[in-house]
Amino acid sequence: MSNEAVFDFQGVSFAYDGKVKALEDASLCVEAGERVAILGSNGSGKSTLLKLMDGLYFPNAGTACAFGAALTEQAFQDDAFNFSFRQRVGLVFQDSEVQLFSPSVWDEVAFAPLQLGLRREDVVKRVDDALVSLRIEKLRDRAPHRLSGGEKKRVALASVLSFNPEVWLMDEPTAGLDPRSQSWLVDFLIEQGRAGKTVVTATHDLNIVDSIADRVYVINEDHHIVAQGTPGEVLSNHELLIACNLMHEHLHRHDDRSEEHSHPHIHLPSHEHLTA
Amino acid sequence: MSATSETKPVKKRQGVIEHTLSDISHTLEQSIFAEDIARQRGLLQSIDPRVKVLSMVALLIAVGLSRSLAVIIGLYLLTLVLARVSAVPMSFFIKRVWLFMPFFTGIIALPALFITPGPTLVQLPLGLMITRTGAMTALFLLLRVSTSVSLAILLVLTTPWNSVLKALGVLHVPDVFVLILGMTYRYIYLLLHTVNDMFLSRKSRVMGRLSGAEERRLIAASAGTLLGKSLHLSGEVYLAMQSRGFRGYPRTMDTFKMRALDWACLIGMLLVTGIAIWLGSQGTQ
Amino acid sequence: MLHSPAYMHIPDGYLSPIISLVLFLLTLPFWYRGVQRLRQMVNARSVPLIALLAAFSFVIMMFNVPLPGGTTGHAVGGALAAIILGPEIASIAISIALIIQALFFGDGGILAIGANCFNMAVVLPYVSYAIYRWLSAKSPITSRRRLVGAALGGWVGLTTAAFFAGVEFGIQPFLFHTANGTPLYAPYPLSVSVPVMVVPHALVASIVEAVITVLVVAYLQRTNQPLLELVEKPELVAEASRPRRLRWLYVVLAVAIVAVPLGLLAPGTAWGEWNSQQLASRGLSTIPQGLAQLENLWNAPLSGYNLPSLGNSNAGYILSAVVGIIVVAVVAWLFTTLLVARKPNTSGKSN
Repeated sequence: MSNEAVFDFQGVSFAYDGKVKALEDASLCVEAGERVAILGSNGSGKSTLLKLMDGLYFPNAGTACAFGAALTEQAFQDDAFNFSFRQRVGLVFQDSEVQLFSPSVWDEVAFAPLQLGLRREDVVKRVDDALVSLRIEKLRDRAPHRLSGGEKKRVALASVLSFNPEVWLMDEPTAGLDPRSQSWLVDFLIEQGRAGKTVVTATHDLNIVDSIADRVYVINEDHHIVAQGTPGEVLSNHELLIACNLMHEHLHRHDDRSEEHSHPHIHLPSHEHLTA
Repeated sequence: MSATSETKPVKKRQGVIEHTLSDISHTLEQSIFAEDIARQRGLLQSIDPRVKVLSMVALLIAVGLSRSLAVIIGLYLLTLVLARVSAVPMSFFIKRVWLFMPFFTGIIALPALFITPGPTLVQLPLGLMITRTGAMTALFLLLRVSTSVSLAILLVLTTPWNSVLKALGVLHVPDVFVLILGMTYRYIYLLLHTVNDMFLSRKSRVMGRLSGAEERRLIAASAGTLLGKSLHLSGEVYLAMQSRGFRGYPRTMDTFKMRALDWACLIGMLLVTGIAIWLGSQGTQ
Repeated sequence: MLHSPAYMHIPDGYLSPIISLVLFLLTLPFWYRGVQRLRQMVNARSVPLIALLAAFSFVIMMFNVPLPGGTTGHAVGGALAAIILGPEIASIAISIALIIQALFFGDGGILAIGANCFNMAVVLPYVSYAIYRWLSAKSPITSRRRLVGAALGGWVGLTTAAFFAGVEFGIQPFLFHTANGTPLYAPYPLSVSVPVMVVPHALVASIVEAVITVLVVAYLQRTNQPLLELVEKPELVAEASRPRRLRWLYVVLAVAIVAVPLGLLAPGTAWGEWNSQQLASRGLSTIPQGLAQLENLWNAPLSGYNLPSLGNSNAGYILSAVVGIIVVAVVAWLFTTLLVARKPNTSGKSN
C-alpha cells in the first residue's frame, strides 16, 4: 500500500438514472490511515459519495480511483479485482434494515466471509471473533426483527468487522441511535482509527466530527464539495455551516450554545465500556 | 402465550383496520411464541433439523397416500407423543389443530355424511341418514388434514425457522432459493411493521370509525406505498449484498452435525414411514 | 391455520399427493418463465428483488378489505402483482409467499404447495393480466380503461382460480376411492365442488380482489405512475437472451405433464396398474427404459410378500415418491442454473 492514496476522486459527478443529480464535480483524496468526515445535510449527496467510493455506483463524469486503480463497471467484472476490493473496503449503511438482510445474526456476520470464499473453519472463527468484540455473542441466533436499534447497529458493524477491511465507510452512523449507543459508536470508530484503519464517515452530526475525523470535507445542498479543512477550522466557520444547512441560525446567535454544539464532549482515550 | 391459539373474541364488527392490525400483531406474536418453544429442551429440539425436515415430508406423504384410517390415526397419535416429549404445550398443540377444523374442513366434511351414497349407518329423523361411506370419507378428510397440519406445526414449533430453511438443502432445494426464502421471511416482518405504523399513524389522526369507502382508500394507499417501498428497498439491499462480496453466486453454510441420536431418529422415522405406506396401501380401513 | 387469509389455500388432505405432484409439474414451466424473465431484467439483483416482492405479496394477503354492505374479505393480490410486475414475475413472488405461508404459518398444505401455487400463482396472475392488457390495450397510463381492466382482471382471475380449485377437488372422488367406493380425499364430485368453489368466490373473494386491484391501480395513477409502467418500460428489459442449453428441459416437462395425467385418467386403468407396457402400447415408448427398471427395482422386494390384491399398486405409490424426488432434483437444478448468475452484470444503476 505504502503511500498510495486510498481514494483519489477527480471531478466526479453522478446522477441517478442519468437525470437526478446527486453529486457534482467532486474531488477528494483520502490517504491510508486517515480519518475523514464528509459533512453535508440530508440529500446533499454524501451517501452517494460513499457508494461511489465502495464501487457500488460509478461516476457519470470524472475519475474515481481506489488503491491506484480506477473504479469502473468493467473493473468489477473481474472476479479477482472485485474480490480484493470488497475485502479491503467495508460500507456500513445508514439504514440497518438494508444492511441486515439475513435471517439470523450469525448468518449476517458470516455473509461476507462466505462470499469472499473463506474456508469454513475460518468463517466460524471470524464470526465468533466479530461477535465477541462487539459483545453480541448472545444475539447470534436472533432474527433481525427482534433486535433493538442499537443492537442492529452492532450487528451491522460486526457484519463488516468479520472481513476486517482496511477501509471503513460509515454512512450516518449515529442516526437514530440513543445517546449511549452513539457514544459507544464514536468509541468504536476511534478504536478503528487507532488500529490504523482508514475511516470515512458521512454525517451531519456536528457533535461527533471532532472525535472521529482529522480532516473534513463539506458538501453543500447543490451537491458540490465546498470546503475542506481540520475539524477545528470547519466547525468554527459558522457561516459555511449555516449555508450548508448544517447549523440553525438561532444556534449561531447564542454564542455559548453554538460553542457547546460544535465542540462536543471529548472521549477519553481509554475509558471503560460499562455496558455491553 | 397459548392465548395466541385462541380465536379472536367476536366483537361487534371490528373496523377492518383494527382487524388487519390485530392479524399483524398476531403473526408477530406467533413467531415469537414459536421461537420460544424452539428454544426449550425436548426430543425434537435436539434432533438435526435436516432429519426433521426429511421425516416430516416422508410422514406427510405417508399420511397423504394412506388408504387406511387406522394408519392415519396411528400417525396422529405419533405426533401427540412427539409433541409431548418436545415441550410443546399439549393444549396449544391440540387446540391449534382442532379449533379451526370445524370452521373449515368440518363444514366441508359435514354434508358428505349425508349425500355420499352407501349403506345406512345411522337413520336420523326427517328422512336424513348418515351413510357408512359418508362417515368414512368425512373421517378420512378430517383426520388427514389434522394429521398433516400437526406434522407441519410440530416441525415449525421445535425448530428455529432459520434452521428449517437451511435444512431444506437436504431436499436439494438450492442455496439461492434458501437465500431468497430467508430474505423474504426477514423482510415480511419489516413490511408488517411498516404497515402497522402506517395504519396506526392514520388511526391516531382520525376520531371515530372510518367509513367503508375511507377504509378502502386507506388500504389501497398503504398497499401502493408499500409496493414502492419494497422496490426501493430491494435496490438498496442489493447494494448492501454487493458491498459484502455477493456476485449472484450465493454461498451459505450450516453447522449441522449428525450424531448417533439423529441417525437413530432418521432410521426410526423412515421405518415408520415405510411401514405406514405399506400398511396404508392395503386399504383395509 | 391461525388465520386463514383466504380459503383458496388448500390444506394437505384434500388432494391426493399424486394430483399435487401433477399440479406442481404444471407450475414448473411457469416458474421457469418467471425466473428467465427476472434474469433478463435484473440478473444478480433478482435475489433481493424477488425476496422483497414476495414479502410484499405476503403482507398484501393479510389486508382485510371491506365491501359495501358489511362483508369483509382478504385479497390474494395476485392480479395487482401481475399488473405491476407482469404475470411471469408475479408468479414467482406469489409462489414464494405461498411457500412461506405453508411452511411457517400453516396456511395451505405442504404437499399441496404445487396445487396452491398453480391456482393462485399461475392461473390468477396470468388470467388477470391477460384481461387487464386486453381491456387497457395501448390506453394511456392514467386512463379509466385501465381501471376497468384492473377490476375485471381481478374478478375473473380469482374466480377462474376458484374454478380450477373446484375441478381439482371434484376429480378426487372419481380417481381416488377405496374398493367399496369411499372417497379418500375431497369427497364431492365435480357437479358439487365446482359451484361450491366458484359461487362464493364470485360473490365475495373475487370482488375483494377486484376492489383492491382497482383501488391500488387508481392510487398509483395519481401518485406513482412509473410503477404502472414497469412492465411496459423497455429499458428494464435487456436484450432477451434465451439460454438455449435448457431447451431439453421443455421436453422433459412436456413428457412429465402428459404422462402423469395419462396414467391417471386412462380409462379402466387405476394408477397402480400404470406400467411401462401399457404406456408403450399408448405410443409413449420413450419413457419405458427407466420406468421398467424402477418397477423391477420396487417390485422385487414386494413380490416376495405375495400380495396379489395389491399387485402393482405399491409400485405405483412408491413410484410416485420416486418421481417426487426426481422432480425436486429437477427443480433444484433449474433454480441453481437459472438464478445463479454466471457472469454477474454488476449494474451500477439503481435507485
